[in-house]
Amino acid sequence: MIHFENVGMRYGMGSEVLKDISFNLKPGSLHFLTGPSGAGKTSLLKLMYLAHRPSRGKITMFREDVGAATRSELPRFRRRIGTVFQDFRLLDHLTAVENVALPLWIAGGKGAEIEEHVEELLTWVGLEGRMKARPPTLSGGEKQRVAIARAVIKRPDLLLADEPTGNVDPVIARRIMHLFLELNKLGTTTVIATHDMEVVNRVTADRMHLSDGQLQLFGAGETVPQEEEFEPAEFGSRLLDQNEFGPRRYVADENDREDGV
Amino acid sequence: MTQAVHFLPDEKSHEATRLLPYVMAVMVYLSALALMGSMMLHKGFGEWTETLSNRLTVQITTADPDIRYAQLQEVTKLLRNTPGIEYVRVLNDIEIEKLLEPWLGEGNVTSDLPVPDILDVTVSRSMTVNLDALRGMLSKVSENIHLDDHQQWLGRFLRLMDTVEYTALGILLLVVMATICMVIFGTKAGMAENRETIAVMHHLGAKDGMIARAFQDRFMKYGLKGGIIGLLLAFLTLTSLIFLSRDLASDLVKVPDFPIVQVAILLIIPFFAALIAMMTARMTVLRNLGRMV
Repeated sequence: MIHFENVGMRYGMGSEVLKDISFNLKPGSLHFLTGPSGAGKTSLLKLMYLAHRPSRGKITMFREDVGAATRSELPRFRRRIGTVFQDFRLLDHLTAVENVALPLWIAGGKGAEIEEHVEELLTWVGLEGRMKARPPTLSGGEKQRVAIARAVIKRPDLLLADEPTGNVDPVIARRIMHLFLELNKLGTTTVIATHDMEVVNRVTADRMHLSDGQLQLFGAGETVPQEEEFEPAEFGSRLLDQNEFGPRRYVADENDREDGV
Repeated sequence: MTQAVHFLPDEKSHEATRLLPYVMAVMVYLSALALMGSMMLHKGFGEWTETLSNRLTVQITTADPDIRYAQLQEVTKLLRNTPGIEYVRVLNDIEIEKLLEPWLGEGNVTSDLPVPDILDVTVSRSMTVNLDALRGMLSKVSENIHLDDHQQWLGRFLRLMDTVEYTALGILLLVVMATICMVIFGTKAGMAENRETIAVMHHLGAKDGMIARAFQDRFMKYGLKGGIIGLLLAFLTLTSLIFLSRDLASDLVKVPDFPIVQVAILLIIPFFAALIAMMTARMTVLRNLGRMV
């Protein structure tokens, strides 16, 4: 499904933020991407959702060399990828329904069938009363659910999620994880970048651990060395300590928002 | 054609390009005015030259009235016997006074003023008159007899007509170039304003053509809207000008009529403006997207 071979990435003329990244993700596999803030998780996801070209190495996706793909070929690959961005990237002037329907419109879909499908999914993520709301009027958690619905609406071959449970309460977080696992069972290769160790520990999945731009791979159940150092109580016990129905107080680390196309 | 996905914000909220239709209206107004003016003058010149093209004027400037009268009789006879000349008419004193009035003022043509005799000659359109031979025959009667075939006047008219038309064409080209520059600027501003939206569309798999389509559709609307407003204003302006100039026009100058059929061609201007705006926006978007990842 995805094969990285000695991939390096840099922004402009800066030093490499990812170094010698090599891995192979099998179709239908599930992976957590972990690592401290600034380790390069978002950069690695950018390479995977084809928003950035590698500075070296070879990337093969869907059995094709995407690093060598021309601009006009990229949309074909991007349509097979669903991405949940850390900053949601919803279009403020469109309603929740329209935002979620975008990938279907882009793929050429039209009509009431799309709307029905979209409304069903939004209801499933608990936004039945917010269908016509525009993102500026939605809370952080609601925006995140819209973003997730948009990422999965087309049942992508590859699902990439950057902190997908970062702004939602535990009940919704579990629902979202359940949705991801269901999609994964249906064959969607899934990579979830997260700080949420409760989620990581609860789900059996391989680990991709980034530290200082370098990647280490661990099988399900394997312990990541020195994890304790970057797993303070604020991450690991956050879910357990709080009332399941109460609001979660989580402030996204600014260092993780190193995005921009 | 790429499928249209309306992902851009509503036109009313589009700060960067909101005023573009009005600037387009000004551009279309100027070009329509230049074209309409050129067409009207072309028609007017055409009518004048048409009027003069089969007419000759013979002037007898001999000072002595008796001799002049005798020469007039002789010349009239000579002209009437010349093949190709259809009609010879001697202008009476009142007609000559009227011709001089614009220069000398009403009632200032007195009997002691030396005024030539004038003959208005109509030439057949189907035959050619040998003007050199005619001029030779007239000069044999007297050196004070002058034949004017208006070629000098017509030549000036034609040169003026050409100048006016080339000027109108030049104005039109400048306006088209300014419009293209303006649309490029507007498109770039629109793209910068919607940078995030474009990035999201790319991530979701939108092709460049799809993004360009959204912009080109919008700019086509701007062009059409501006074009219609501009053309209406140009029609109003020109109608008012004709109306006013008819009141002021003297007998000396005839105000050209509105060439309805030709002016009807100008109805394509808004569509042309829309086409220019659309194509320019499309090329600008595609060129700029090509620089992205």
